[in-house]
Amino acid sequence: MSAETILVEKLSKTYKVPEREGGFGAAVRSFFKRKYNEVKAVQEVNFRLTQGEIVGFLGPNGAGKTTTLKMLSGLLHPTGGKAHVLGFTPWELKPDYLRSMTLVMGQRNRLAWDIPAADSFLLNQAIYRIPEDEYKKTYKELDELLELGPLMKKPVRNLSLGERMKCEIAAGLLHRPRVLFLDEPTIGLDITGQAHIREFLREYNRRTGATILLTSHYMADVTALCERIIIIHHGQLKYDGGINELSRKIAPFKLIGVILAESNSHDLSKYGTLVRNEEDWEKQYIQVKAEDVTRVTSGLLADLPIHDITITDPPIEDVIEQAFNQ
Amino acid sequence: MFKIFRRLWQVNWAEQWQYRANLIMYLLYWLVSPIIYLAVWTSIAQSKGSVNGLTPNDFVTYYMTLLVVDQITSNIVIHTFAYKVQDGSLSGELVRPIHPMLTNALVNNIAFKALTIMGFIPVWIVLFFLYKPDFSSVTFSGILLALPATMMGFLVGFLLSAAITSLAFWTTRVYSIHEFYFALMLLFSGQFVPLTLMPKLIQDIAQYLPFQLLIYYPIQLILGKLSSTQIVQGYVTGITWLVIAILVFNWVWRNGVKRYSAVGA
Repeated sequence: MSAETILVEKLSKTYKVPEREGGFGAAVRSFFKRKYNEVKAVQEVNFRLTQGEIVGFLGPNGAGKTTTLKMLSGLLHPTGGKAHVLGFTPWELKPDYLRSMTLVMGQRNRLAWDIPAADSFLLNQAIYRIPEDEYKKTYKELDELLELGPLMKKPVRNLSLGERMKCEIAAGLLHRPRVLFLDEPTIGLDITGQAHIREFLREYNRRTGATILLTSHYMADVTALCERIIIIHHGQLKYDGGINELSRKIAPFKLIGVILAESNSHDLSKYGTLVRNEEDWEKQYIQVKAEDVTRVTSGLLADLPIHDITITDPPIEDVIEQAFNQ
Repeated sequence: MFKIFRRLWQVNWAEQWQYRANLIMYLLYWLVSPIIYLAVWTSIAQSKGSVNGLTPNDFVTYYMTLLVVDQITSNIVIHTFAYKVQDGSLSGELVRPIHPMLTNALVNNIAFKALTIMGFIPVWIVLFFLYKPDFSSVTFSGILLALPATMMGFLVGFLLSAAITSLAFWTTRVYSIHEFYFALMLLFSGQFVPLTLMPKLIQDIAQYLPFQLLIYYPIQLILGKLSSTQIVQGYVTGITWLVIAILVFNWVWRNGVKRYSAVGA
């Protein structure tokens, strides 16, 4: 076996997307002659992961993260380049390969919906040919870390999102895969739920030495778990390196959100760059450098009738957009 | 491998059981047309004494056997699988080290049957007392011969349906294609009327097609209506179609999965 667990060279994927305008005429025309649009989802991406690494795979929506994960797990054929995982070519879908990796997608569930997770677990035991004693041992470990006990006997559809995610991840790990591809494993979870999953992944990696490649929307996921980060944007590799070097590279910003007690007539732009936020129109957001946060905040509190104030990290997309889209 | 099937069985059985009300409706729908054919043909035969040499009892035994055979050889794979290709939920199954169609979908179908049979038996018993059929032509050896033939019929039917279902990798119109297959099935399988009542031409074509393997051939075996040459002929046709069905399914499946993974699973 080579030293690299995951080896990706010039990996590319171009989708052909049928395209047509709306309306009846266009529908008829497209029936005879289809127009295709080429979408370059991933373009000549290179990286390597060694055994035991946890690497955060970041990028804005549509950057090509999921496409890359799908190629590495074998679901997608690339249009160019190559990839080796544990010495296998993923898209050959060799059973030996499938037995040694797992793909967990936060937005898809693999557990049978109408029956308790316990049944799906036993099914996985059979599918992955896990010997009884090994199964029991692994289950006990997973139960310890994720507190599965009370969840196992309820039909999956009656579980909360966080509970279901725990079960999904556990189900994906019963066969002790050596490589984990996790696509948004904490999506939709509350802060406690996210922290739980993160802690679990760190512990699992420590115990088993598994290699983990995960995508996430949450910066916190990545800072908590990964020492190394790979960023892709518009299908191209933009950064591959330590998380600390990255924060030096991109100016660390914070967002200060303010609700004023009186009307919004005060001019906040002198405190920093004003940022629009469609989801939260009540608040006005000011972007400031991290080192200025204390100064600006106390200034705001002193000068203005503040009703509410929050300090948050900017969304990961914005950070990447700013850093690499110049 | 056995363990995988056992666990798949448990999961699928539990899942199907969740939808038992649905299944009963499905079963009733399934039973309506054969029972109508049974009623209509029997009363025609009764009023005329016989139809082309078939007595009322011939019709009753034919359709009552058909109900059983059809239960065993039919499948619902188009309804339980095609949507997974279309909405992408197949992805999760593709990265598991087992064949999604030949393990999960197969067991799912068998679990479905096991459950519908429970609803089917009382209906059959009621019909039995209503029509009091004379099954004296049925012999033990006939049933022994029919068992492997029925299994063969199921496998041929399942693989052909699975191949058609796998067309979902290319087209969203797979349901209409399956409807067409189903129409051929109705015509050539002996489901609509016993094949002996069909025009000679259709009978000649039907014996080379796979459809009668699912209905007509097992029924005639059970009812002891076939000469030994016909029995051998049926098995030869069956095995030939089984091989064809395996090859066709494999080809469609392999290329389908390739396509699925090319356009974005």
